[in-house]
Amino acid sequence: MNSRPSYFRVSTARVRSEFMRRLHELSGEDVVSCFQCGKCTSSCPMTEAMDLMPNQLIRFCQLGQDEVALHSRTVYVCASCLQCEARCPKNISIARVAEAVRTYAAGEGLEHYGPDAVSLEVLRAAPQQALVSAFRKFAH
Amino acid sequence: MQIPYYPGCTLKAKAMALEQSTLEAAALLDLELTEIPDWTCCGAAYPLNYDRMANLVPLIRLITHVRDSGANALTTTCSFCFNSLRRANYAMRHDPLVRRRVNSYLHDDFAHRDYEPDPAPYQEYAGELKVLHLLEVLRDSVGFNEIRYAVHRELSHVHAAPYYGCMLLRPAAELELDDPEFPTILSEFLLGCSCGCVEFPLMNECCGSYVGVSQPESSLNPVYRVLTAARLAGANAIVTTCPLCFYNLDHHQRELIERFQSFQPLPVVYFTQLLGLALGVPAEHLGFDEHLVDPRPLLLEKEVTV
Repeated sequence: MNSRPSYFRVSTARVRSEFMRRLHELSGEDVVSCFQCGKCTSSCPMTEAMDLMPNQLIRFCQLGQDEVALHSRTVYVCASCLQCEARCPKNISIARVAEAVRTYAAGEGLEHYGPDAVSLEVLRAAPQQALVSAFRKFAH
Repeated sequence: MQIPYYPGCTLKAKAMALEQSTLEAAALLDLELTEIPDWTCCGAAYPLNYDRMANLVPLIRLITHVRDSGANALTTTCSFCFNSLRRANYAMRHDPLVRRRVNSYLHDDFAHRDYEPDPAPYQEYAGELKVLHLLEVLRDSVGFNEIRYAVHRELSHVHAAPYYGCMLLRPAAELELDDPEFPTILSEFLLGCSCGCVEFPLMNECCGSYVGVSQPESSLNPVYRVLTAARLAGANAIVTTCPLCFYNLDHHQRELIERFQSFQPLPVVYFTQLLGLALGVPAEHLGFDEHLVDPRPLLLEKEVTV
């Protein structure tokens, strides 16, 4: 993600924005309780493909930085393996937060991933459950 | 013993080896797996959002049909199906809102009863049916010790690494299959099959799952880590329960061989293939042709008569 600004404006209005309300409504998770221990990032098997680390994603969500969270690749790399959730000392389900961000982004019309985007080779070889899951998670 | 069996979509297409070996091995253990007549897709990835009723209804509908047939449990081998069905069932048991909403949907669902002269009224469902993984059936109903007595071919020279992946273990509070950090059920199963068992640190790590569909590059690293960790621990094969883990671990090895000079291929097998081998099912009935890294040379080398 190249368009990430080098500084962020944090205000009460941002932290209490519509994005934050919807995030809480969809995920049921209290992102504010995260104290950035980084255990989710060290557990995550997919970090090489991410631009924001899982703990950074939660941090940006805490600060109400919706455009950073919505434009990051991270939530589309999350495989929902729940290793982060199993190890989080504050019992936050990062996968739920990622799914809420994806759903919110889909509502904004931001990301679209469909059958055309899958290569023929993958379509022929991948098991059905992989295709069903990928479309369920990433396509809207 | 007879138990309703939910195969799932992948077992009927890309993972036929898993279904074939399951049925062959179960027949030898006097375990009668009767396929559920009108099963539908489990949806693969369990929905994590709170507005998810539409995704839960087909799962619970399927479970209520099994209940209506008089059974009190159902079993499945695929980790994804197990995860979805068990979590949906858990939500029905513990979440009053989900229970009320899904029941109200299903109350109006008479599609399958339309052609009966006097449709039976829908009975409220509250998660009474047990959703079991085949491993649990083998552990609790058959017994790993009984399998050990029934072993026909000794596999003790095969050092298999149990690989759980994500869907079999997590979230542990809902699945309650095994400890999420130090699971042992597959190891016990392997020992029951007379197979050597090599536990390794990444056995509960994710293989990259379905992200490989949208970003094929992304699952190479996790797969490489899992395979090399198993190899370093001394394994000469890796055992999985999940068709997607199998695909990721097996299929990506072609690319890993090209990229990494030192990479040694490691055969990936389904747990039921090893069970079938141990019980004496002929190897040609276990679907080894579907593997990219063929395990048969290893079996011959380890003096298993294929």
